[in-house]
Parts: sequence; C-alpha cells; structure tokens
Amino acid sequence: MSLDNNTLTKQDPALPGSAIAPRPSRLRWPQSFDPLAIVGILMLVALWYVLAPIVPHSALPPLHSVVQTMFEKFWFHRTFAFYGLVDTGFFSALIYTIENVLMAVVLGGFIGIVAGLVTARSSLARAAIDPIALTLGTVPILIASPFLLLWLGGDRSSAVAMVGFYVAVMLYTYAQRAADNLDPVYESAARTYGASRGRILRNILIPGTLPEILGGIRIALAGAWGLEAIAELLASQRGLGKLIESISASSDIKTLLAALLLLGLTAALFDMIVALIFSQLTRWRHTARLAVSPR
Amino acid sequence: MTIASLTRDRLIGLGVLALLVLGWQLLSVAFPQEIVPGVPMVPGWEKVFTTTFVSISRYWPGGWGFGSVATGEQPGYFYALLAIIYHSSFTFLRLLVGLLIGSALGISLGLAVSWSAWGRRLVNLPMQFLRVLPLLALLPLFQVWFGLSFLGEVIFVGYGVGVIFFAATINAVSNVPDVYVENSRTFGASQWRTYRTVILPAILPELHSAVLLALGAAWSAVLGSEFLGAQSGLGYILVYSQAYGFLDRMFFIALLVVLFASGSFLIVNRLLGHATRWAR
Amino acid sequence: MNTSPQIALDAQAVSRGYHRRDGAIINALSDVTLTINSGEFVCIVGPSGCGKSTLLQICAGLNMPTSGTLLANGKPVTGPGPDRGVVFQKDSVFPWMSVIDNVEYGLACRGVPAAERRKIALHYLAQVGLADVAQAWPRELSGGMLKRVAIAAVFANGSDILLLDEPFGALDYVTRHKIHDVLLSLWDESERAKRTVVFVTHDVDEALTLADRILVMRGGLVIDDLRVDSTRPRDEESLSEHEMVVLKRRMLDHLGIGHGMGRAAE
Repeated sequence: MSLDNNTLTKQDPALPGSAIAPRPSRLRWPQSFDPLAIVGILMLVALWYVLAPIVPHSALPPLHSVVQTMFEKFWFHRTFAFYGLVDTGFFSALIYTIENVLMAVVLGGFIGIVAGLVTARSSLARAAIDPIALTLGTVPILIASPFLLLWLGGDRSSAVAMVGFYVAVMLYTYAQRAADNLDPVYESAARTYGASRGRILRNILIPGTLPEILGGIRIALAGAWGLEAIAELLASQRGLGKLIESISASSDIKTLLAALLLLGLTAALFDMIVALIFSQLTRWRHTARLAVSPR
Repeated sequence: MTIASLTRDRLIGLGVLALLVLGWQLLSVAFPQEIVPGVPMVPGWEKVFTTTFVSISRYWPGGWGFGSVATGEQPGYFYALLAIIYHSSFTFLRLLVGLLIGSALGISLGLAVSWSAWGRRLVNLPMQFLRVLPLLALLPLFQVWFGLSFLGEVIFVGYGVGVIFFAATINAVSNVPDVYVENSRTFGASQWRTYRTVILPAILPELHSAVLLALGAAWSAVLGSEFLGAQSGLGYILVYSQAYGFLDRMFFIALLVVLFASGSFLIVNRLLGHATRWAR
Repeated sequence: MNTSPQIALDAQAVSRGYHRRDGAIINALSDVTLTINSGEFVCIVGPSGCGKSTLLQICAGLNMPTSGTLLANGKPVTGPGPDRGVVFQKDSVFPWMSVIDNVEYGLACRGVPAAERRKIALHYLAQVGLADVAQAWPRELSGGMLKRVAIAAVFANGSDILLLDEPFGALDYVTRHKIHDVLLSLWDESERAKRTVVFVTHDVDEALTLADRILVMRGGLVIDDLRVDSTRPRDEESLSEHEMVVLKRRMLDHLGIGHGMGRAAE
C-alpha cells in the first residue's frame, strides 16, 4: 500500500488531533506518470518507421506524412468535395461524430443508470428487466443496425439510437452492480439519522455508486466511438465514418490512416478528460495507484 | 433469498418473455402492411417459422451435390436448412479461428512482455492507446490491407480479441499477489517454472472476464466484417436482405444470431467456471 | 434523580424467527421481555449467535420482530429514526463526505440551519478530540478516529437513546481503552439528562468498565440481569474489587468459560 503525500499519517487517537499539514488541493493525474511510458510511445513510432521500407508504401506510409495529411485535410479538402460529401474536411466530420457519441452517451447513460439503480433496490423490477438486459448484453449490438436503418432512416437518429442502446445496457449492469456492492450499512445509518428516501438517493446511493458508474462510463465511451464509426460507415451521409468509407473506396491509404489516427486521438483525448473528471469527483476514495510495481 | 422468491423471479422473467412474444404478435396484427407483396413488415410468429423460414433457402448457393433455388430448385425447408447451416458455419468459423488466434497471440505476447518489469512499463502507454482505438472503425483499414478475404476477416477478429487479451494478461500478471511468487521462489523454482506453475493458473480467474469481453468483441467484429464485404455468413444475409427491405428475413436471422450469441456466452461461462472452480 | 424513572425501551415478548431452507424456523430471539429506564447505561453480553445484535437491530428499527411489541419512549417502533441513534460495528461514516458533514448529517436531515448545525457538530467533534480534522476525508482517518466521528455524529444528532452494536471490536486494546473514556465523558454531560445507552459486546471486561446494568443473553433469551454499582471511572483496580470479580465470574459461567477462576482484570 503506498502512501500518497496527500494522506495524513495515521495518528495516535490519544492525541487530540495533532498538527496536520493542510492538504493542497491540486489536480491529480489519473495515472502516475512513468517516463518509461514515453519511451514506449517512441518505440511504437520507431517500429512504424522500421516497417515502412519493408512494407509497400501503399500499405504503410511513413508516419510523418500521415500526420501531415491529417493537418492538411483538417479544415477543407477538395477531394472530399469532389466525392460529394457534406463534410469537406476532417473537422466538420469529427464534430458530427463527437456530437452523436455524446448524445448517445448522455441519453443511454441516463436510462441505463436509472434502470440499474432502480432494479438494484426493487426485486420486482429486477426480476422483470434483468433477463432482458442480460440477453441483450450478450448480443452484438451491431445486429440492431440494419433494423434501425430501415425504421429510422440513415440520419443521426439510427446511429444515436444504436450507440445509446449499447451505452444503456452497459451502464445498466455497472449501475446495478455498483448499487449491489454498496455496503448496506450506509443506507441503514442514513435511515437512523432520519433521512428521507430522496435524501438517501441523493446523499448515499448516488455518491456511493459514482466511482463504479464513472468507470463504466469510461468503458462504454470507448466502445461507443467504434459503434458510431461503423454506424456512419454503413449508412450515413456525414461523420468520420462516412469519410472513412469514401476514402477506403479509393484506396487512399494515407488519408485513411490520417482519419483513423484522428479518431484514435479523439477517443484517447476524451478518455483522458473523463478520467480526469473521474478522479476529481472521487477524491474521497482510497485510490489505488495504477503504476505497476517491478517484480 | 428464499426459494419462494427465486421461483417468483423466474416466473416473472418468463412472464416478461411471454409478454414480449405476445406483444410482437400483436404488432404484426396491428401492422399488416407488406413491404413487397408477400413480405410482411412485422411478420407474426406464424409467418416467421413458415414463409420466412422457407425464403431463407434463396441464400443457399448450391454445392455439396445439391442444387439451389437459383438453378431452379424449389424453395423449401430443406434448402432453407442448408442455407442456415452453410452461413452459420462461416460465421462460427470466423468467430472461432479469430478467437483462437487472438487469444493465443494476445496471451503469449502479454506473458512475454510481463516477464520483465521494464517490458510492462514500456508497453503500458501504447497499449492504453490501442485499447481506446475503436475496433470497428479499423475494419476498412484491414480490408485495404488484407482484402475482402476469409484471412482478412479472421485477422481482423484476431486483432480485436488479441488487444483485449494482451491488456488483460499484463494486468492480471501484475495483480498476482507477490506472496505466491515469493513462495514459489523460496522453494527454489526458476522464473520459468514459476511462470508455468504459479502465474499461469493464478491469472485464469481474472482472464475470465477478459474472455467474455473478447467473445463480445469477436461477435461484433465478425458481424461487422460480414456487413461490409463478406460474401457469406449470417451478417451477410442480414445486410443483403436489408438492402431489399425484407424485414421478416432480417428478423429471422436476428433471432438466430441472438440465439447463437447468448448460447455461446452460456457455454463459455460454463467452461470457464469449470476451469476455475478452485477460485473463490 | 427525581421521581419514578421513565422507561426508555419497553420490550414485551419480542421474538424474531427465521425460516430455514428446509422450512424449519430458527428463533434468534425467543419471547424477550425487558425494560430499560432512561439514563441507564446497559450492556448486553453474550456469545455470538445469542441474539444480542438482533435485539439491538429491532430496537433500532432496522429489523422487525415476528411477534411481541417494542416501545421506545412510549411509542411503538416501526422503523429507524433520529430518536434512536446507532453506532454500527462496521464503518458507517460516509466516505464521500467530509468529517464535519458526516457529523452534521442527522441535523441536516431535519432541516437545522447551516450555521447552527455547524456549531453543534464542531462542539461534539471537539469533545471527541477531532476538531482539527473537521475538513478531512474519512479515508485519511484511522479506525479509532472514525469511531469517534461516528460517536460524535450520533451525539450531535441529539438522540435520546443510543444503540451501539459491538462498535469497538475492531480496535486495538489501547485505542479501545481511550475511546471508552470518550464515550463515558460524552454520556455523562452535565448540561442535560443522561441519555439511555444500550451497548452490545462480547467483551466481558468492556461491559464491566462501562455499564450500570448488564444483561446476559444466550440462545435468544435473557438469562441474567446484573447491576453494576461501582463508581466510574473504573480502572484496573476497580475491576479487581470483590464485587466486580464476582460479577465477572458469574458472566463467564453463563458464557460457559472460566470455572469460577477469577482472572485478573486485563
């Protein structure tokens, strides 16, 4: 167990609260920063360059040209206009995709979390909803895509519906598990204080389940990017997925890689942001260090 | 949890299922429209297992000594069954081969990297990036690299599965309690032997959840690749019939996929439970 | 102090049965009848499984009897409430609230204005010696400190009846010793009438140190009711006085250990 320099040293309870250094409230990195990690990234980049001369240029163009393409085509690229795409640059396509993902996460997340918390505390609701959610959890959500396309058409609603559904099912299980794992002593204690049902929900259930739910949001978000991308790939007029679809038809590998790199970086960026928000909201936790200890 | 409440829960679950089945039937009565003459938009259960089932026979490409609808045979249950077996086999083949390749490579690479502490630290950040990189978005890339072939599809599935197992193995190895390793060392075991007899079994329970995750990812990957360019498989039928608006066939195939997917999860869960029955 | 003592807790033929898988009924409590007067410090001792925790839970309203009645301050108990404060065996201090917010919580539930409840909370935190850590997170406190926070919270909430369920079991000997003093000094406040305390423990010495009255339970029944008249604070010396040794021997006999051999109070 490592001591964080934010932790007060455990003290002799006999001494009535000795002098304690004030805790600095600063942002905490979600992961402890290991300098070797940068070397790891550099190694990956080096690997790319090593492979490049061996593999035909058509398969793996040099990294710098991919990055360059990413910047070139960011705002506007005439080839996209030539294809007749609505999004004439990476940027507008990216914004569309981000909007869809966020909408899906918010809507699906809300439904999933509420359903998860409710079913954790009501055995009737649980018996009714659990079998459905469990079956749906095993089925690849992609199966819904053709149906949604027929019913809702190829615009945003079918993509948001599909991704939202995925997020809802995921967060349902996370929220339910979190509420199940919450030590019942907290709710009992709250009741002995005379807390109303609303207070128990607000002050106990939600803060207590928040860490696990936030973890679930992070994971669901990661999966949401891929689902949104493929939904756009299959039948959309806009978004990064549509861009990728058009580019792959032309076998312009450089631009394809550029688009994928952009998507990956966006996913990574959002993941970092959520992790940061997460650690800020749950400063009260016993946080485990994420660095692996050398054996 | 008393016996009474357990049975009650099961009854409620069955009740909900029955309600859904009934609800679907009511919907089919409420929406009797047809997309194309003879093809109902919401096929009632009586249609699903008759007309729709039979119409699947059109997807049987012929071979194995039998003709096909395309070459003049009459559509019927037999050809429909052949079609189902044919396409399901392809889907399952892609799934299994991808799972095998991915798990083998992912776990062995993960173990190799975990051998030294430096390996783990080096690989950490790139691995996090790979984990967040959306799998399904990479499908077009794999198609450009490997073409629309069985190999390409399997490599794609293998990649998705491999990344999951790679990350999970590294994580699991780092979570093995130090005492087990130290205990083994005090018995004089070499690092290699420790790996084989202590670490490998110890990470199995934690890999349990990774296997289920990988199974889910594999199904998505297989379906995705069948949506986008494969010429066989359940996903292929789904997309093909969607192009013509055959909602009833789509529904039938979707039911099959739901059946196969949940079935695969049940089986895998059972097997895993058996393999790790010593765990808490 | 004055006329006839008021009755804080009145249990009449309270039973609590549980259904076993094969349909048989196990009685955690069988027909328990007892009265506890206001201001008494009562300890309930007994081996594990004797029903002492179940009895406490029923008094707290967190569990319901299968038969019999329980009155708290003359009113039937239907559920938990701020009139009966509970200190649990586990850590019940909410980890996501600061220490002071935890102590104030009961008051906040009842709509006491912020400034007033902060004053009250700080007063009791100071009484338990934790005024300095008012703004800290619970994760930064040790087990003993968290117990003191729980005690402060329950006193701050103004409950007339305090129910403690083996609260100090997880603490080491020295910490437990010191926290006994904290609890007794809070209970013995001169500004108001003494609160009623029901303290469940399996530790015979703890009961002798703290209680006015000790109820011994076994197999779901109250099998003895002992008065402890020794003056507080009771240290090692008082525990080795003759009357105390006799009491201890008697309790140990009830519990089935110690064949009348008085052990030096530890």
